[in-house]
Amino acid sequence: MNTILSISLACLLVFCILSIMSHSLLKSAIFLALASAMLGVLMYMMGAVWAAVIEVSACSGLVTVIFISAISLSNIKKDDIHKQYEDEKRMRWFPITMIVGGILLIVIALAKDFTLTSALQQTTDHFKEVFWNTRQVDIMGQIVTILIGGIAVFVLFREEQENK
Amino acid sequence: MELFTWETNMLIVGFLMILAGCYCMIRTYHMLKIIIGVEVAMKAVTMFLILAGRINGNMDLSQAFVVTVIVIEVIVAVVFAGVTIGLYKKYGNMDIRNLTQLKG
Amino acid sequence: MNVLKYAAETFLFVPFAAIVINNVFSKKMMEKCFHLLTGAVALSQIFATLFCIYSMDARGMSRFEFFMLEELYENDREFFCLTPVTLIFLLCIGIVAFVSVMVAKKTIDAKKTSYVNLLMTLIIGMNGMVMVNDFFSLYVFLDVVGLSSFVLIAMFRSRKSLEGSIKYIIISELATIFILTGLAFLFMQTGSLDYMDLNSSLLQNSSEPQTMLLSLSLILILSGFFVKAGAVPFHSWLPDAHQSADTSISILLSGIVIKIAGIYGIYVLTDLFSGVKAIQTALAAIGILSIVAGALLALCQSHFKRMIAYSSVSQMGYILLALSTGTTLGVVAAVAHVFSHALFKSTLFVNAAAIHEQAGTLEMDEMGGLEHRMPVTSFSSVIAFLSTAGIPPLTGFWSKLLIILALWTAGNPVLAGVALCASIFTSAYFLRMQKKVFFGKTPEHLASVREVSGSIKIIEIILTAITTLIGILFPLVLIFLQSRGIL
Repeated sequence: MNTILSISLACLLVFCILSIMSHSLLKSAIFLALASAMLGVLMYMMGAVWAAVIEVSACSGLVTVIFISAISLSNIKKDDIHKQYEDEKRMRWFPITMIVGGILLIVIALAKDFTLTSALQQTTDHFKEVFWNTRQVDIMGQIVTILIGGIAVFVLFREEQENK
Repeated sequence: MELFTWETNMLIVGFLMILAGCYCMIRTYHMLKIIIGVEVAMKAVTMFLILAGRINGNMDLSQAFVVTVIVIEVIVAVVFAGVTIGLYKKYGNMDIRNLTQLKG
Repeated sequence: MNVLKYAAETFLFVPFAAIVINNVFSKKMMEKCFHLLTGAVALSQIFATLFCIYSMDARGMSRFEFFMLEELYENDREFFCLTPVTLIFLLCIGIVAFVSVMVAKKTIDAKKTSYVNLLMTLIIGMNGMVMVNDFFSLYVFLDVVGLSSFVLIAMFRSRKSLEGSIKYIIISELATIFILTGLAFLFMQTGSLDYMDLNSSLLQNSSEPQTMLLSLSLILILSGFFVKAGAVPFHSWLPDAHQSADTSISILLSGIVIKIAGIYGIYVLTDLFSGVKAIQTALAAIGILSIVAGALLALCQSHFKRMIAYSSVSQMGYILLALSTGTTLGVVAAVAHVFSHALFKSTLFVNAAAIHEQAGTLEMDEMGGLEHRMPVTSFSSVIAFLSTAGIPPLTGFWSKLLIILALWTAGNPVLAGVALCASIFTSAYFLRMQKKVFFGKTPEHLASVREVSGSIKIIEIILTAITTLIGILFPLVLIFLQSRGIL
């Protein structure tokens, strides 16, 4: 159990870094989807079953589809990315920042003696009750958010017929 | 080292992911890559919420939080992509250095 | 009790019903009467708020907690709550929404149904944000407000508005990530994010956060809300977003959204963590910085709306200074300044809409001598300027007086003196605007400009009347507060 946790945690970090450093946008999207899958596995191992399912289906599926449709709507050829955006030069310092940040965090964790203890495990059969009974305000907020998403698609994505 | 329980590991990985996401949002020139930075940082926050649930023992509440955050994250990606495509149609490429109309 | 409950439930039901009505009926019919629908929603909010204030005061209640749709579940904690601070914010939302609708009747020509839909979701988001009892629900409605304003700015798809919208999206998303991380750490420390639970389990009357997790979460949430409020040095999105949006939307953004999204969050945080000295120092420092930097940046602008946007940054500094005292007088002063700022900022943006409609330009170098051509606009802008600078007997004088009194009685005479002297900067940039736009000689291409007519003129007159009237009647409000034991 511990090995699956460590492997998925390590893969999550590696896929995120790869997704940021990659020069092709399609590869970035695919690495993001893989990172979502790893996060889903991690959440399942921690005991959050429902959150893992929604994470894998929404982030790994829906966000990747939105992203790839945005990429295809913008129609950029692969070579142009290298020439125009010069992200190579800008992201040059990224691995060094990560390594320095990692060492800094480990030093802080050792110095401050930072341990968290986990409580006794409770059964998680009551997710339905908790979600539908006590978090009704969040559900109202989610409905309004989805409504805004629908209006945004209608307003922002429609072709302008007047200008043609 | 017994100091390095897996909770501390997850905290460190989470901080590194937020750092990576913010770095990407700040330093890139390509508009769609900014969405990737936002998504990576949101995944780190999701991980923190689940970790908090595990530590408190109150996993149901934290799963409810995670579901809401995921819905919001998807809609933010949709709106961001919409505005980006609108800018692409005006300027012809996705470079963020083109946006110089509002100054001062 | 039932009537109060129905009145309180209208805050969330009426905008939702308006969305349903807007989308069910035919588009042509809705486009003709869109201002009637939204005007009705805004007026119903104002009347419901006044009724709730009267009713809660007659019963002597200072908190009213309620559910919505009670029959669907059982829970021992109510979801929504009305407190006096909440009611004043709801009143401001109603007034600014009404002003925005009156201006939109003239300036918005296309996509009217989308404007109505988005305005209704914005109102639902803002109402929800000030009424909830839970910190995570506050975050959810904060995101609703943010998403609505992103789409509202970008709605007309011109180059400038898309650019302003994307700058706002990027910086606002960074702030949202910080707030959410801070909330996750707070959740790690305590068991839940309800206000009652946080109040009982956190450290009241202690001057230091107990663990590193709590101080980290405090820093993150505070920085996130500073970005949303437009305080210096996080203000860079504000002028671009407020300048490039359509004027009726700039009224909403500058008049109420930065206050609800930023200031209300900071108020909640200071309420929960009362007594922590570090928050008060941080608020005071950023407040002074915002006042001075906002005023200095507004002095060298040449675009009318951009100058007004920098003025908003400066006024947010005053509100942050008032909140930094941590006393009840400070909270009263902050809420009073929120109310008077909503009034005079809306007046200034309505003047900008009037000038844009009639003269066609918003660059101050091209304007001049409009005082005789547009007398109503000129008079209302003079009243707004005097209210901002704090001249009696207008509303702005009373709110600034309360702020300076709050700072003085909390033991910070230096800050009170600095706030007083910074009013000179406020007067400076407004006088410059008056001289350039309204006084002086009229250039030839503006010789045929007439006074603006219709709904914009009516709303200018109404706003000027409200500013003067409430300013004259303000001592009654103070006596009322004193008799209820708040001051």
